[in-house]
Amino acid sequence: MSGVAQVQAAFRAAFHGIRSSPVTSIVAIATIGLCLLLVGAFVLLVNNMEQLLDGFGEDIRVSAYLEAGLAPEEQADLAARVETAPGVEAVALVTSAQALERFRAAQGERAALLDGLDENPLPASLEIALVPDQRNQEGLAVLREALDGLPGISELGYGAEWIEGYEQAVGLIRGVGISIGGVLGLATLLIVANTIRLSIYTRRDEIEIVQLVGGSPAFVSAPFLIEGLAQGIAGGGAALALLYGFYRVMLPGLRDGLELLLGYADPIFLSAGGAGWLVVAGAALGFLGSGVALLQDGARR
Amino acid sequence: MPGAARPVVSAGALVRLFHVSKSYLAGSWALRDVSLELEKGEFVFLTGPSGAGKTTLMRLIFAAEQPSEGQILVLGRNVSRVRPAAVAPLRRRIGVVFQDFKLLSRRTVEENVGVALDVVGVSERDKRARVFAMLKRVGLQHRRYHHPLSLSGGEQQRLAIARALVNDPEILLADEPTGNLDPELTLEIMDLIADAASRGTAVFVATHDYSLVERYGRRIVRLEDGEIVQDAPVRGAIR
Repeated sequence: MSGVAQVQAAFRAAFHGIRSSPVTSIVAIATIGLCLLLVGAFVLLVNNMEQLLDGFGEDIRVSAYLEAGLAPEEQADLAARVETAPGVEAVALVTSAQALERFRAAQGERAALLDGLDENPLPASLEIALVPDQRNQEGLAVLREALDGLPGISELGYGAEWIEGYEQAVGLIRGVGISIGGVLGLATLLIVANTIRLSIYTRRDEIEIVQLVGGSPAFVSAPFLIEGLAQGIAGGGAALALLYGFYRVMLPGLRDGLELLLGYADPIFLSAGGAGWLVVAGAALGFLGSGVALLQDGARR
Repeated sequence: MPGAARPVVSAGALVRLFHVSKSYLAGSWALRDVSLELEKGEFVFLTGPSGAGKTTLMRLIFAAEQPSEGQILVLGRNVSRVRPAAVAPLRRRIGVVFQDFKLLSRRTVEENVGVALDVVGVSERDKRARVFAMLKRVGLQHRRYHHPLSLSGGEQQRLAIARALVNDPEILLADEPTGNLDPELTLEIMDLIADAASRGTAVFVATHDYSLVERYGRRIVRLEDGEIVQDAPVRGAIR
């Protein structure tokens, strides 16, 4: 006698169950697949928006404008102090003259207009690069706090303040995705539970016979849990396949419409881990749905 | 009346009922003050008219019901107080044959018998061998890949007996096992059951077919209105 043989028997019974009520199985798989397709679409959108955000992050440079009248030694000393601030990767001093030269170069043919200036109006500045994981709103806030009140610095400029708004949009879409995923997940759980309850009901005689020959509650329940698990994996796999089809076939045609959200960056698909989690989520939905159905059925009897 | 209830004294009894009563409705008794015992290898006919309480008595023994009063000891366990988790292990030691067969219609003959071995975790190889041997014993080995609905009534009943016996149960309960069968098939089925008793299984057969009781000449427990009115010892068979 062995537990392995009992597990094999439970798998055989689950297979019989799926084979004997294919419509019930298809309904469960379709429900799980549809739910995960929607959730997966949100994850895909958020991933792509985050990718775009990471791209912006690489360009984030903070400029600390220095007060007029600082001696070159004082400017160098200030640059050295800023370099020790948290999250700072590198600091480059741009003198007032260098700033004017850059500006002149940027103006091209119109640079001649600058010849009429009596004095250089541009302040010296420190160009501060942040370490990669600090190139976001939190990193900027930490830097702002560290530089606040530092003598010699008159103003901080980021040049990419709109990123804050984009980050909020990503957060909002992520939040909506999580909320919709939660509601859909719960609804799917209940639909799957009811579908499997139907399956339990149609096999009531079979369950009774297994109990009469000495099948333990675990032995009776196991095939339904395996069935739910298999349906969940199939639903998750179907969602993944449909999502990949959307990504490969339909997304290129929708690029112009999604430009506002995703820019012109090449869209990315779910990582292997992300794809795995989608299937695991399907398995969990199917397994829990069966568990809820068995509990409801057990409570009714 | 020849012996209302035999004294319950045997130490080797597999089933013992002590003053057992069962009521489904207040004031109405399906069984009343029933005391009896069943020993290893013993073959007992439970007789009486329809509604006498035969099926209720069987259901109490395999713990499908709880008695309203009294105690029931089955294989050393008090089923009046048995925990739900202990019911399944107890049932694995009891074979039950129902009048309506209770077969798995979507499984093959082989699978129907094998389910009794699945629940105890017998390996696939052992299961195949034991199922085949059992089907051979009841003459159904050539039908092992068929489904129950394609079998005749007699074959379905033999299949039910094969499932009940494949696990070498210590007790066999058969509720009207020949109720729907013609005389020839009836004897065939009863011979199978008697064979189980000769191998050491305690057998309890509920029937209202007195010709059968006469033919086999075994101990008779007769129920009327839920009470034992006769518990007669073994007599000689007429055949």
